[in-house]
This record gives sequence, C-alpha cells and structure tokens, in this order.
Amino acid sequence: MFRRMLLSVLVRQKKKLFLIALTVALGVSLATAMLNVMFDVGDKVNQELKAYGANLNIVPKGAALVNELYQLDDKQDAIQYIKQDDLVKIKMIFWAYNIVDFAPYLTTQVMVNGKPVTLVGTWFNKHLTIPTGDEVDTGMLAMKSWWSIEGNTMKDDNLQGVMVGEAIAKQLNLKLGDSIELTSSTQKITLTVNNIFHSGGVEDNELYVSLPVAQNLANKVGLVERVEVSALTTPENDLARKAAQDPNSLSRTEWDTWYCTAYISSIAYQLEELMPDVRVKAIMQVAESEGSILQKTQLLMLLLTILSLICSALAISNLVTANVIERSTEIGLLKALGATNTSVAMLILTEILIIALLGGIVGYFIGLGFAQIIGQTVFGSFVEPKMIIVPLVLIMVSLITLLGSMPALRIMMFLRPTDVLHGR
Amino acid sequence: MNKNQRFILKTLFSSLIRRRSRIAIALLGVAIGATVLLGMVTLCYDIPRQMGQEFRSYGANLLLMPANNQSTMPMTEVKKAVDLLPSDKVLGVTPFRYDSIRSNQQPYTIVGTQFDQVSKTSPYWKIEGELPKNPNEIMIGTDIAQFAKLSIGSTMPISGKSKENSRFDEELTITGIVKTGRAEDNFIFIDLNDLETLLEERNQAEVVEISIMATQDELQRYIQTIKEHSNTVEPHLIKWVTQSEASVLGKLSSLLYLVTLVVLILTMICVATTMMTVVMERRKEIGLKKAIGATNKSIAKEFLAEGLILGIIGGVIGVICGLIFAQVISANVFGRSIVVEFYLIPTTIVISAVVTIIACLIPVKRALEVEPALVLRGE
Repeated sequence: MFRRMLLSVLVRQKKKLFLIALTVALGVSLATAMLNVMFDVGDKVNQELKAYGANLNIVPKGAALVNELYQLDDKQDAIQYIKQDDLVKIKMIFWAYNIVDFAPYLTTQVMVNGKPVTLVGTWFNKHLTIPTGDEVDTGMLAMKSWWSIEGNTMKDDNLQGVMVGEAIAKQLNLKLGDSIELTSSTQKITLTVNNIFHSGGVEDNELYVSLPVAQNLANKVGLVERVEVSALTTPENDLARKAAQDPNSLSRTEWDTWYCTAYISSIAYQLEELMPDVRVKAIMQVAESEGSILQKTQLLMLLLTILSLICSALAISNLVTANVIERSTEIGLLKALGATNTSVAMLILTEILIIALLGGIVGYFIGLGFAQIIGQTVFGSFVEPKMIIVPLVLIMVSLITLLGSMPALRIMMFLRPTDVLHGR
Repeated sequence: MNKNQRFILKTLFSSLIRRRSRIAIALLGVAIGATVLLGMVTLCYDIPRQMGQEFRSYGANLLLMPANNQSTMPMTEVKKAVDLLPSDKVLGVTPFRYDSIRSNQQPYTIVGTQFDQVSKTSPYWKIEGELPKNPNEIMIGTDIAQFAKLSIGSTMPISGKSKENSRFDEELTITGIVKTGRAEDNFIFIDLNDLETLLEERNQAEVVEISIMATQDELQRYIQTIKEHSNTVEPHLIKWVTQSEASVLGKLSSLLYLVTLVVLILTMICVATTMMTVVMERRKEIGLKKAIGATNKSIAKEFLAEGLILGIIGGVIGVICGLIFAQVISANVFGRSIVVEFYLIPTTIVISAVVTIIACLIPVKRALEVEPALVLRGE
C-alpha cells in the first residue's frame, strides 16, 4: 500500500514535484559550484600571484657582502659563484613540484661603443632533464610577466641574439635586427638585437643574452651568480615565523610539520640543504604580500560559500513547506480514511526525500559544470572536482529537506480532516 | 472609487491576511532573493577596490626621481608633485637619500628615510626590534648584522664626508634589524633629518617612493599630470608592481562577477519556483472567480497587485538583510566597512517586484487557459 501510494504520487504529481526537484537541483548546483571553487581558489590564486615573479633568491654563501664591502673588481676570482650543474637540484627537493620556475643570472660588464654596459646571461625558456627522470621548461621569460617585449621570443640556443633594455636601446639608437659589438676584457663579439624590452626597472639599462654567451665573455664557464626561484608557498603562520628565526629551536614534531609544509622558509631550508655553499633568501615583498592576499581571498570565498549555502537551504526548505501546505486536502482525506499522523508523515518525507535526492544528483553535475565554467573563464584551467563534496552535499540535501518539511509536518499534525475536506 | 475597484482591493486584502502561512513563505522567498541580490552586487562592486587596497602590501607603485640628470631634488618640489595626487588615495610617501660611509674601515651604504612613512609604503619589511626614533639611532640590514656580528643595542661607529667636505665621525646605536631578501639587507637606515645634519644639507631626496591606490591607467594619468606641472621631478611607474596587480586583480574581480552571476541566476529561479508553487495552489480559486463571471484581465490584475505588494515588502526586508550580509563579509575579510551604492537599493526592490510578478503570472496564465468547470471539479 505504502509503495503504491508513493509511486502514484510520484507519477501523478509530476509537475509539482518537478518544481521541488528543480529547486533542489539549483540549490545543490550552487553549493557544489561554490564548494569546488572554494577548495580550489587557494591554488588558483597562488598560481596567479606568480605574476609577481620570484619569491626566493639563491646567492652563494658570503657573496652577499663580499662584493660590496671590498669592492673587488671582476678580474679577481675571490667572488663566489654557484655551479651551473647544481641548478637541477632545485627541482629535486621535497617540494620540487611547488617550484614553478627558476632562472640563473650571471652579470658582467662589457663595453659598447666605448661605454660600459651591464650584460646579463640567463635562461630564457630552457628545457632541462632532471636526474629523477622529469623534464621541465624553466626560465626568465615566464617569471617576468610584466615586461613588454618587442620582437620574436628569445631562444636559449640563439647565441647570436641579445635582448636590449629600452633605455639603452634609446641611448645607442638600436632597432630590432641591428648589430651590436660587445667588448669584454678578453673577447670581442657581435650580436644581433633580437628584442627590445621595457621593464620599468633597472633592467631597462641592461642587455640580456643566453647564459653561455655571458659565461664566455666573463670567462666563467659553468658558473652563475644568483638564481631566482618562483615557488608556490603556504601562507606563513606562527610556526613558520618561529622556524624562520632558527629551525633548531623547534621540537621534533614541530620540525616535521614545518619541513613537510610548503612554507617559504622550509623550501629555502631544503634548497640550502641540497645545494652546497648557497644562501637562500626569501624576497619578503613577494612572500609576505602573497600570503596576506591569499588568505583574504580564501576567507572571502569561504564566507560567500557559507552564505550561499544558507540561502539555497532556505530556498529549498521554503519550497518544501509550500508544497506540503498545498496538499492539505489530500492529507485531510488520508487522515479521514484513517491514516495515522506517523504514516502520513512517513509518506510525505519519503516522497520528498526521493525527489530531493534525484534533484540533488542532477544538481551536483550542473554544479560541476558551473565550477568548470568559472575555472575556465577566470583562471583558464580545470577546477578539480573534490570527492569530499559528494557526502557534504548529500548530508546537506537530506538535512535541508527534513528540516524544511518540519513546519509543514507540524501544520499537518493539527489538521482536522473535516475542516480541510470542507474547504476551510 | 467604484464598486469593482473596491472589490479587488477587498479580495487582495483578505487574500493577504487570511493565507498567512503561505504569504510568509512567499515573502521569505522574495526576501532571500533580494538579500542575495543586494548583498552580492554590493560586494561585487566594492571588493575589487578593497582588494586593491590589500595589494598595496606589495609596496610602492610610483617613483619620483630627479629630472635633468640631477642627483637630488628639493623636497619642496616633491611636495608640490605629491599635492597633484588625490590625497585620500595616497597611502604613503617615502623619501630616500643614499650615501656611502665607512665603519671600521669597511664601506657601507647608508640610507636616510622617514621611518613612519616606510612602514606605509613597504609594509613587507620584516623588522626585528624597533624603528629608530631618536637621533643617533639606526636600523641595519640583516646581512650587515650577520657579517659584522652586530645585534640590537650594540653601537656602530661611522665616518664619512659631508657635502661641504668636512669629515664627520659618529657612534650610532642599533635599534632594529631589517630583512627583505633584497638590497635593503645590505643597507644602514637612518632618519633622513639626521643624515642631512651629517651631510650638512637640507631637504633633498634622491628617490621618493609613493604608494597610491590606483589602477594602472589612473597612475599613467597622474604621471602625465606631474610631468606637465613639474620639471625638476620625474615620475616613474613601477611596472613590476602595477602590471602584476592589474592582472591578478582582474582575475579576482572576474571570479567574483561570475560567482555573483551564478548565485543570482540560481536564487532568482528559486524565488520564482516558490512563488509558482504558492500560486499554483490557487487554481481552484481562479476557477471559481471565472465561474462567477470575473474576466481574465481582472484576475490577472489582482495577482499582479498581490505580486507587486509581496515583491516590494520582500524587497525591503531583503535590502536590509543584504546590507547586513555585505557588511558582515567586508568586516570579517577586510576589517573595513563596505561602501554602499545607494541606487542599488531601489533597483533591488524593483527587480524583486518584477521577478515576483512574473513568477505569479506564469501559473495564473496557465490556470486561466483552463475551463472553470474542469478546475472546480479538481482535474
């Protein structure tokens, strides 16, 4: 009997139940979309903040001051360098996958038309094979997203090309395709202007060439001066601050937590561990600001998600109540025929739960679609569906429909069959 | 007022009074819709600006440098240039002055600045200890501290030459150690006035950093204005900061717009379905009215009026809740109160009225198409 009544309600009242299913579907899709985006927004925004470029600077130990303090001239070999062969180790630390990009730099002075100019050798977009078997493309161009560059993209195997800063190009009256003669203390070479760039910083007064060219000119084959690293990091907290002062002050468990979290200080520490004789300095301007913006965005999304969940919950339960009230005649009839309050309540609840679950399943997939639309249009990347959302949404739907039916069920309990059937 | 109008008013009134629980449900639905509408749109409007303020933690975005190959510029000229900028948007103006000195025969770079402004233009500086407050107090970079084994409280002798070519020797106390990961780690910081006393020069600056809340286009405009009005000061855009800010902020705002759009569409549909259920229930009533001679037009009019009243009342409740909603979020996330665009309030009420009316009229129209006898018989 129960099953027959249930079935016939589901079949006969298609239109009304369809509205409930639709509302539940919409509410669930909203919840799914917001939750998915919320869980992913941290990673996505973190990736976007990489537009600010490097947040770590690797310099040889001691070099930070030696150069400036003693004002050594470049001919002496007292200044320390990082070995180029060590660079692949950057991609071999515990948090290797969090290293987005890195680029080595070697600076040297050359003469152009009798004027001293700073020449920088770097990787533009170098293809590397890591001993672990991974292959990566990394270099400066990806890290300097704010540069406006004229001309074809510079390649690392382009040993005749040079990227010229805007200010120096104006000074020397250079255009794309012009030749430029560089004299170092030992050599003289001629390069072609491949790009002219505008950075808005000191780089506008510099020349950028492929690393081997600079190494040859400076007579420093296989050496680099510093490395800029752009890493995805977790915003700092008290533990990270404590560790940044002195990692040895942490307790064993604290140390483990710190080491296994992608704090900027632990990434710096791991890099220092793996590469001999370097100091890794966090660039505070990038690291600190990144953390604060990331936290703000996550909090914002979290609050928006909670509020939209509340709104969809209210909307769903509201509709369920409306639906039950509307059926008072039917309920009155059932009661007049001798149905108990419990059996009527069971019937209505089962019916609404079935409909809500059907709507919820449809809504979940619509929500995934919405999340993908948001991910694609805003960040141009896939929003990964999180499994944790499925049970969350399931619980939400059941709770909301049950709670939403409560006021309606209460009204039903006090319904007097005669009144209803009489039409009052 | 003729009889007919009185009748409509009476039915309207009694329909609103007698069916309290249904009306409460409908009102709640409309109010939720209006809350979300106003709350989300207000946030959408204000958050890019709030976020813009957060991005100022990346530091200065405008630089003033001396024009015409001069090494310094007078602070009076700088002040004139800064006065051209909207003062409510300028967060900080920090002058810098560089000079080389020696301490224990080793050369260092000493930087004169105004410490109260530094913390505004460069909030990311990690400072151990305190900023110098008194004369003869300095802050040093962390690399110097490590190299020279200096700590907070110790003193550092410095010697140098003033611009008038007289020598100075001072013993300075370290009150703080700064760490930035950049060149600042190798500098000694001192109050600008103290440095100028040593240098025997007044009110000059080599570089002035300005942190100002503005988009890249606005900054370009400010630069143009300063260029037109001043020939001693040359403004520069710090492209590194502005360009990245523009791109990240753009992404964040479009995320917010999309989320708002999705939420709005969904809630509006929810409101409509609730209204439709509430109205659908009244097919019998419509049938009865038609049977006793009401025209389709007069029934439609009645529901229209009912929808309008519900929409407006629900809209007003929603506006109040929506404002609270936006304030709560803004206060929690940014710790600032939100700026409300007042034209949004009537707009929200109008939109909720329109949505309610449309949602009412769809089921009414369908009920009107049916023969009254069929509806009354309950089919």
